[in-house]
Amino acid sequence: MRILAFIVVCLTGAFLLYGTSEFPDWGDPNSPASLHVAAYYIEKTYEETHAPNFVTAVVTDYRGFDTMFETAVIFTAGIGCFLLLRDFRGKKEHYYHHIPTGVILHIKDEKKSLTIGKEFGYMDKEWVPPDLINKTVCRILIPFIQIYALYVVAHGDYSPGGGFQGGVIFGSSLILLAISYDLKTLVKRVSERLLGIFAALGVLIYAGTGVLCLVMGGNFLDYGVLAPLFPGMADHIRALGMLVVEIGVGIAVMAVMTIIYINIVSEGRHDEGL
Amino acid sequence: MENYPALIVVAPFVTGLLAGLFVWIEKRLSYPIVLAGLFISSFSAVQVLIRVMESGPIQYKMGGWSPPIGIEYRIDLLNAMVLCLVSGIAFLNLIASYRSAEKEIGDRVSSYYTVYNLFLTGLLGVTITGDLFNLYVLIEITSLTSYAQVAMGDRDRGPLASLNYIFIGVIGASFYLLGVGYLYMYTGSLNMADVAVLIKGSQGSSTVLVAFILCILGIWIKMALFPFHVWLPNAYTYSPVIFARVVAPLMTKVMVYIMLRLMITVFGYDYIFNTLNLSDAVVWLATIAVLAGGVMALAQKNLKKMLTYIIVSEIGYMVGGAWMGNQLGMTGAILHILNDALMTFALFLAVGNMVYRIDRVDITDLKGLFGKMPWTMAGFVLAAFSIVGVPPTCGFFSKWYLILGAMEKGAYHFAAALIISSLICAVLFFKVFEICFFESGSHGHDHSSHGPVAIEEAPVSMLIISGLVSLSLIVAGFYSGAIVNTIILPFLK
Repeated sequence: MRILAFIVVCLTGAFLLYGTSEFPDWGDPNSPASLHVAAYYIEKTYEETHAPNFVTAVVTDYRGFDTMFETAVIFTAGIGCFLLLRDFRGKKEHYYHHIPTGVILHIKDEKKSLTIGKEFGYMDKEWVPPDLINKTVCRILIPFIQIYALYVVAHGDYSPGGGFQGGVIFGSSLILLAISYDLKTLVKRVSERLLGIFAALGVLIYAGTGVLCLVMGGNFLDYGVLAPLFPGMADHIRALGMLVVEIGVGIAVMAVMTIIYINIVSEGRHDEGL
Repeated sequence: MENYPALIVVAPFVTGLLAGLFVWIEKRLSYPIVLAGLFISSFSAVQVLIRVMESGPIQYKMGGWSPPIGIEYRIDLLNAMVLCLVSGIAFLNLIASYRSAEKEIGDRVSSYYTVYNLFLTGLLGVTITGDLFNLYVLIEITSLTSYAQVAMGDRDRGPLASLNYIFIGVIGASFYLLGVGYLYMYTGSLNMADVAVLIKGSQGSSTVLVAFILCILGIWIKMALFPFHVWLPNAYTYSPVIFARVVAPLMTKVMVYIMLRLMITVFGYDYIFNTLNLSDAVVWLATIAVLAGGVMALAQKNLKKMLTYIIVSEIGYMVGGAWMGNQLGMTGAILHILNDALMTFALFLAVGNMVYRIDRVDITDLKGLFGKMPWTMAGFVLAAFSIVGVPPTCGFFSKWYLILGAMEKGAYHFAAALIISSLICAVLFFKVFEICFFESGSHGHDHSSHGPVAIEEAPVSMLIISGLVSLSLIVAGFYSGAIVNTIILPFLK
């Protein structure tokens, strides 16, 4: 069976190579891929959209409809994780530590619990002593990571970057918080409800921009017709539309990254993780 | 209104997202929002169909960019028909499955509706688009949502079925994507009509050949044509009823539509049937698929699983008809997309009603069901007759065109396979009827099989939709001549 699979893989590879025999040379300026639509994008993008970065223009304007659904794919991954993994049943055993003495309490009765405060604090089952260096470094680092993420989102139409990259960076700053402290710290600051709303809202900002274009009398996602809403910015209206949808993508990606992380590490219980 | 084509896809998409938002604010609102979205979608689809019938194909430019620079929607008679079918079935199913979804999915049902609508956005977007890459993106959405929904079904077997589906589905989708990549290397364009113009006259090109084979192979895997069908029976059997009812009639049919679109619009008859001359080989493959599906269905003990193997067999019908290379075969294949979607929907509605009452639908569990659920069984019988191909129902007419097409080409083996598989279906369904009708139910504690059995029907909303769809099989049968003359033949000309 294994040999058979090997033969099939080899044959498929040979077949794919056979198809490349007529490919143009690597980097050939006269290849169809660089002459047909690509040439149009390079020549006309700035004139038509006023976005200096034409990769962003292709992604969020010329083919913005695809990108909307790519964002929806990410949203689907998030909601799929939530639907399949989220477990609302409470934990059976609780661990606490007595803050003044450092004594660890293990309560096996699921009905009893201690109030969290100055005296007692939560503790994970697989408890690791708090590492001062890790905590401090991450605490200092996280705000800078977040500002950088916002920069990547906001500057997407001028330089490489955009909503997907910025959203992932922002999401990873939240994940870093969960890793350096613990999952509860993250869940307490960024509630599940907020993340769920953000995930849907991000994609809705994108789709809503499209619907707004419909309402203003244009085609779906035709940012040009939004000009009356932003007086004095008629030249840059398409670049502005791109920025709005990039922000939407950023919010959605940030929320979904965090949802996926929380659900996977805590097996859907949102109590303790890595 | 000019924007109906966009609304068909955007309405379920936006309402799905809104429902996902309202899960966290006011749970009860998510169902009506989703329902409204699907209603707008089906209304727009009907409007578009009327327009296309009056004044020819419609073109809609996304973002106002003309193709090939931007993405376009291009709607002709074929996809207008499929759009009405998909959005209509999705809307009806959402009404019919409200109670069963609440029972099966429980407290998560409000966020489930988001996934349901995204799945249908995918199917509708795949059908309406005129862009090869946009089609891939929406296949991705369709697949991802269906993996999630399959895994939500049967607690023990759902996740495994979903995992198998993921492995095979990903291979299919990446084959298609590779094919599109090859086409892009050769032409520099992603628009279907544009690519078709650019590859005309490059009959001997190895790149186009590889692209063609990869695209078709990818779609065959997604469609579950016989040797690639292994993921389908388990995935459809163990998914929740609300999903099984919509995926079984629509998913495979939409994939058949994509195959037709690639054959007709992108690569062209001339390339497929004259240059490559693939007709004979594929018709043989389809013949084997028809027979294999039927034989495997005979071996099943679970009613749902038996029906999924019948779907595998029906895919063989449509592929065979489409690759016959003559007008009759193609007419049969297109008509069968419509008819098979309706028949499968009717069957799964009836089975869903049974599952709602008796949970397990192994064939032995069905004893005495005619007495217990008479209306459900009436719908089931009608749908079964249509699958077998009994004349006044619509299943007969598409089979008739397929057989005529096979005769014209001289593919007698395919015609024979159609008749044999009809006989197999007859055997299968009469076996089920026999158990349901003659064997008394042994579910009750008292063994009073002599007295009249208490009627325990499914809820009225489920019954009404089930009855309507079953009756529509006869209506579609009566109007099949009209459908062929006003939609299919003008499209093929």
